[in-house]
Amino acid sequence: MLVSLDPRVTRLHLPDAPGADQPKTALDQLETFEVFHQRKEGQAFTYVGPVHAATPDMAFLFGKEQYSRRFPCTGMWVCATRDVLHTPYTDEAVSVYSTLTELPTPTGTGEAYEIFHLKKRGKGHVHAGTVLGANPTDALAAAKAQLGEALPCVNVWVIRAADLLRSEDDDKDIWATVTDKKYRDAINWKVQDRIERFKAER
Amino acid sequence: MYGGGNTFEAPAKSDGLELEDPIKLAEFEARIARGEKIEPGDWMPKLYRKQLTRMIEQHAHSEIIGALPEGAWITRAPGFRRKMAQMAKVQDEIGHGQLLYSAAETLGKTREAMLDDLVSGKSKYSNIFNYPTFTWADSNVISWLVDAGAIVNQMANARGSYGPYCRALDRICAEESFHLKYGHDAVTHLATGTPTQRRLIQEALNRWWQPLMMFFGPPDKMSVHTEILMRWKVKMITNDDARQQFLDMYVPKIWELGLTLPDPTLRKNEETNQWEFAEPDWDEFKRVINGDGPCNAERLAVRRKAEERGAWVRRALLKPTTQYVAPLA
Repeated sequence: MLVSLDPRVTRLHLPDAPGADQPKTALDQLETFEVFHQRKEGQAFTYVGPVHAATPDMAFLFGKEQYSRRFPCTGMWVCATRDVLHTPYTDEAVSVYSTLTELPTPTGTGEAYEIFHLKKRGKGHVHAGTVLGANPTDALAAAKAQLGEALPCVNVWVIRAADLLRSEDDDKDIWATVTDKKYRDAINWKVQDRIERFKAER
Repeated sequence: MYGGGNTFEAPAKSDGLELEDPIKLAEFEARIARGEKIEPGDWMPKLYRKQLTRMIEQHAHSEIIGALPEGAWITRAPGFRRKMAQMAKVQDEIGHGQLLYSAAETLGKTREAMLDDLVSGKSKYSNIFNYPTFTWADSNVISWLVDAGAIVNQMANARGSYGPYCRALDRICAEESFHLKYGHDAVTHLATGTPTQRRLIQEALNRWWQPLMMFFGPPDKMSVHTEILMRWKVKMITNDDARQQFLDMYVPKIWELGLTLPDPTLRKNEETNQWEFAEPDWDEFKRVINGDGPCNAERLAVRRKAEERGAWVRRALLKPTTQYVAPLA
């Protein structure tokens, strides 16, 4: 049995030598969701990163923990990665819309779709507006017609509005705790005075 | 936290570049030279994908495994404030692991495969976490100086060429600044305290100095692939430069606390502007990285147990409609 400096590890009665590992089965880590946050009231929602989760609700909770625990946040949207239609990336000098030459004529009707633009490679996609479309490709065509002049734009994501799980305005107080926890801010840990005192006394 | 040590595998006879499409390769290199980031859908050389996956994955593993020695001290941290801070730090590290696994996934390796490779010992993590934390002071040395070393690497890598890794590192670096200040405070508290507290921190520092010097990896003359990986902005700082930067920033801060370092030859050569130091035992480094360190077996056993214990929860949550798609960015 493995003996550790940490008694809780010793109490796990772990074998000294591991047996053969069973490889994880597919989907052991569930599926992925993309998370967008609103940093300040009134600002556009911006992509912050992915999470692994079983359901949109769980993705929302994980997203809140992962992406709003340490930074100001006033709202969050999540969406399953598989529900995102995305274009290829272009060079930064070229608008991605100018490369989308095969799009159908937009119908201008249908369901609401949210459009996200990436202005610069390495940054996060930012919500650019809402369009109507009969399907994601139709919505992309509508975005090209209505939002395609916005430059620069190296990549576009199209998400059916109904596929986004959004925080509610009534629940705004869930974002209010960030500033309570001073002990996890760098600025809370000041040592210079103590060091100077120590040096003076030596 | 993360160390650059032994990140890249031994040189193959060929790096496979002659098999790549020369036009695409030239465009790829031109994009990097222009300062544009590479994003997941872009064409990239196989070697770039492979080395980047390996690097980000190792970084992710280091965050998860690095949380174990510090996590063990949460219950024994002296006082409520330090308990809360230690807990917040450990939570940050696990969060960093998740961000980094996702960044690596965009390159095509699933999180399942990465976690399998971690517990089987196929993938590596920062060697320094294979050393034990005997006292609270050991945990403080990790919080301050291991994180300080990690920040040198991470600040450099945040200027690298791969978009998803840079996005993750921007968030990580912001949180690391708390770790560094918290660690410095904890070490200062002991160093300026009672004789017993001073003794504790001095002994811990003596124990961790060798692993800290190894943290940045072998000297550049022993490293491989460095030139092409630096041109592709995968590796942003050489092991030697990172070590020098660390010594420059932290040796004076250690000395001003009246602490000593267990290397009588350590000095800054004013003529060359370089730190001179005794080479750590690189044979020990290789031995530990290959599994024969004081805590390798324990770290992996604890990780394996955690995976086993959580498996039924993940199975219960799985729905028949679930489909895997790699994260987008």
